[in-house]
Amino acid sequence: MKNWIWLFLLLCAALGVSLFTGVRSISLDQALQAFIAPDNTDPVHVALLYVRFPRVIAGLVCGAALGAAGMAMQALTRNPLADPGILGVNAGAAFAVTIGALLAGRADGALLAFLAFPGAAAASVAVFALGGGLRGNASPVRLTLTGAALSALLVSVVTALVLMRGETLEVVRFWVVGSLAEARTRPLLVMSIGAVAGGAVLLAVATKLEALALGETLSRGLGTRPRQVQAAVLVAVTLLTGAAVAIAGPIAFLGLMVPPIARRIAGASLRPGILASAMLGAAVLLLADVAGRLLFAPAEIQAGIMTALIGGPVFVLLARRLSPGAIA
Amino acid sequence: MTIVYRKRALPALGLCRGVTRRALLGGTTAAFLSQSFNRLHAAADSLGYVHAFGTSVLDRPAERVVSLGYTTQDPLLALGIAPLAIRQWFGNFPHGVWPWAQAQLGEAKPELLVGEVSMERVAALKPDLIVAIGSGISKAEYRVLSRIAPVLMHEAGDAVYGTAWDKMTRMVGRATGKSNEAEALVSRVQNQFATARARHPDWARKTAVAGYHWGGETGAFTGADTRAAFLAELGFKPTAPVLELSGPAEFYARLSPEDLSPLDADVLVWVSSFEQAPDLVSLPMRKTLSAHREGREVFAGGLMAAAMSFGSVLSLPFLLDHLEADIAAAADGDTQTIVMSAEKAGLLS
Repeated sequence: MKNWIWLFLLLCAALGVSLFTGVRSISLDQALQAFIAPDNTDPVHVALLYVRFPRVIAGLVCGAALGAAGMAMQALTRNPLADPGILGVNAGAAFAVTIGALLAGRADGALLAFLAFPGAAAASVAVFALGGGLRGNASPVRLTLTGAALSALLVSVVTALVLMRGETLEVVRFWVVGSLAEARTRPLLVMSIGAVAGGAVLLAVATKLEALALGETLSRGLGTRPRQVQAAVLVAVTLLTGAAVAIAGPIAFLGLMVPPIARRIAGASLRPGILASAMLGAAVLLLADVAGRLLFAPAEIQAGIMTALIGGPVFVLLARRLSPGAIA
Repeated sequence: MTIVYRKRALPALGLCRGVTRRALLGGTTAAFLSQSFNRLHAAADSLGYVHAFGTSVLDRPAERVVSLGYTTQDPLLALGIAPLAIRQWFGNFPHGVWPWAQAQLGEAKPELLVGEVSMERVAALKPDLIVAIGSGISKAEYRVLSRIAPVLMHEAGDAVYGTAWDKMTRMVGRATGKSNEAEALVSRVQNQFATARARHPDWARKTAVAGYHWGGETGAFTGADTRAAFLAELGFKPTAPVLELSGPAEFYARLSPEDLSPLDADVLVWVSSFEQAPDLVSLPMRKTLSAHREGREVFAGGLMAAAMSFGSVLSLPFLLDHLEADIAAAADGDTQTIVMSAEKAGLLS
């Protein structure tokens, strides 16, 4: 319980810090003014309402979605190094955005954000199908390998297109590294609903997913239908990650580094683990964004780079502590 | 997800010069070194160049020229030399020649070099000069190219993409035996700027900034950048914060989305690769700028933005013809005069 209180306080602190730190200093009084009587010609009000507030919401939704999705992926693949990225979701989103920019050639951020979602979904369905999911034997190893292979393929196509058509595709640069800076122009509401739906599905099937971790034969004996559970988890992960990608682009390593810490807070049980992972994911992403905002101010470092900077070492640490056959 | 962008990104125009993954070519260095020593001794005659990567010497004025710089086709064409090959920067124009230079191209059909420089294709053209000022090639690529023909690079004191248009024109003119023509071209363009300044003496007392908003990032072009240089040629000064953000090797400064006040100049020119900029139009922070509220914004989209980015001996006069009226309307101190380009792009709403 004590752990949960700390986690809650950390999330609140991250929200507060995110809303009240930045290039501009904004007092509590000004913030209240901005919400009560917004003045669109006052830079302070505009910074709070149109820059920071959407960022906080985006960080909250996106971080929570990736934290929960990461937890689910690690449980599904029984691999503590699994991350939503391994389903090819990030690469799929980048691919869809690239093709969209190539065909439409427009500087319309919102349109491209919407394209990210079907891209992410198509990639995860493709990974599930190619990984044997349709024949009912999507083994964790197969899913992981298929995801890695498809990601590599999609990323090389994106790279090739960017190299050939640099000018129309610079927009893609912003889909290669995730950022919360453009939250205002992204379909925040729709994607939040998608993420909440994904989270609900995940919580509903969490206990069955735990049974799956005992191995297929044993879980069948417990009355679980592995293929349906796997499919439900994939739908949930796709909803969560797709929403996160549409809001912020690919945020690296968050879904990887948060779950192990969440497991320490919430214990081995999956359902509380998902909740803890979601809260922690939001807190970490918000703090990473704040750090990126302040480090080289006034220029900003994308939150996706900050999470990668923190997540890289965590990945190595996890990989080193990994004992074969154990789920961290 | 790793895509490495080893290139100089030029935001707003979407333009990244030097989209190359550099292969490191080693092994033959020694041979080249001795070669360049020999050339150094021969540098006494008038066609020797000391540049960032060493020395290049031409035996005689060049006739068969490959243009590897992203903008070097312009001074070459201006001097009446159709390059054998032109490096693709951006845009969808035949042979990589933009409208301001198409008349000079005439019937010539240069090859278009896209992406990384293919040494084989360059060699197959049998050039007697390779102009690589502002090409972003590596030293290793330079060494290989030097075996094909003398290679013209930027001077050591300039940034890779920072050779001023007049210097570039003179360098190319000298290498092709057309120094006098180059000088005449340079002074003609300088005169055009001088007359523009004379028509608008008030511009010298005003500030102007070229800004961009692209993919969620807002910033200003600074220092030696062609877009900033164009406004300077017209007599404008940058705003104090933009001046502070300028460095000799910096072409643009990214700004915090929370504070765009550095852009708040007497004239704010938005540079965009598109004719319409919905992301910019709906940017709430823009509406806090007095430049917006008082109708001092100019929109340089598409072709105009490209002309600003090229900033060449051919694109600058073209730009001046098309943009002067708009800049004057923005700078006139009257909030009621309509800046046509800004209205067309929807910036006035």
